[in-house]
Amino acid sequence: MSTKVMPLELIDKCIGSRLWVIMKNSKELCGTLRGFDDYVNMVLDDVTEYTMVDGVKEKTKLEQILLNGNNIAVLVPGGDPEA
Amino acid sequence: MSSISAPLDLIRLSLDERVYVKCRSSRELRGKLHAYDQHLNMVLSDVEETVERVEVDEETDEVIVKKESRSVDMLFVRGDVVILVSPPLRTT
Amino acid sequence: MSELAASKPETTEDNNNDNDSLTPSTFLKTVLGRPVTVHLSSSSRYTGILSCLDGYMNIAMEQTEEYEGGQLKAKYGDVFIRGNNVMYIATEKKIK
Repeated sequence: MSTKVMPLELIDKCIGSRLWVIMKNSKELCGTLRGFDDYVNMVLDDVTEYTMVDGVKEKTKLEQILLNGNNIAVLVPGGDPEA
Repeated sequence: MSSISAPLDLIRLSLDERVYVKCRSSRELRGKLHAYDQHLNMVLSDVEETVERVEVDEETDEVIVKKESRSVDMLFVRGDVVILVSPPLRTT
Repeated sequence: MSELAASKPETTEDNNNDNDSLTPSTFLKTVLGRPVTVHLSSSSRYTGILSCLDGYMNIAMEQTEEYEGGQLKAKYGDVFIRGNNVMYIATEKKIK
């Protein structure tokens, strides 16, 4: 009864729900996942971007983005950096 | 820009024209574009290279931005350092 | 450099819930000619009209304004942005 979940299957299950994305360069994004491709480039809706500026977290709201998969470090399904 | 169907077409239309190239590590180039490839490796002539250096004055802690320029007859730019290319004469 | 499956048919298993998912390649088709903001990993950003892009996320834009740290730095008529520097492309209005 071992249920193996492939990494991209997990992301596929996240479509339509919130996803927390941690980038390699200390940026973080949280948005609703609309879709992604093999390179984990992603389309996200209702995005909040968190940037560290002089040790202070700055928030930016974005309606819809295509995020380059190149700079993604970690994906947290359902996660929220504010929680 | 009606004749453009791919981003690299913009570079093709800039052949033999002067272009502005923004590179990594605060380096800017202005020169005539002779050749390019799909990596955006480029050959430029009559180039003015500008490098911006940020220094901090040790006594006053003032941040000084220094711009250093030099001229180069002809150079090759490796594509991976390129951030942006623009035909400067069409710049508003 | 990652290549978007821009022109490839979407046959991979991760695109199997095709009803309500908006994949990167469909997004790219719908943003052409629209006002967008392109954020680079270097934290500079470019707003303008998206003329075209390719599978490397190379971008050609018109009427482009360059911002660094929220400050307008330069304006370009036409501009080419090399795709490897792009972190994300944001639309002004949502695409359904």
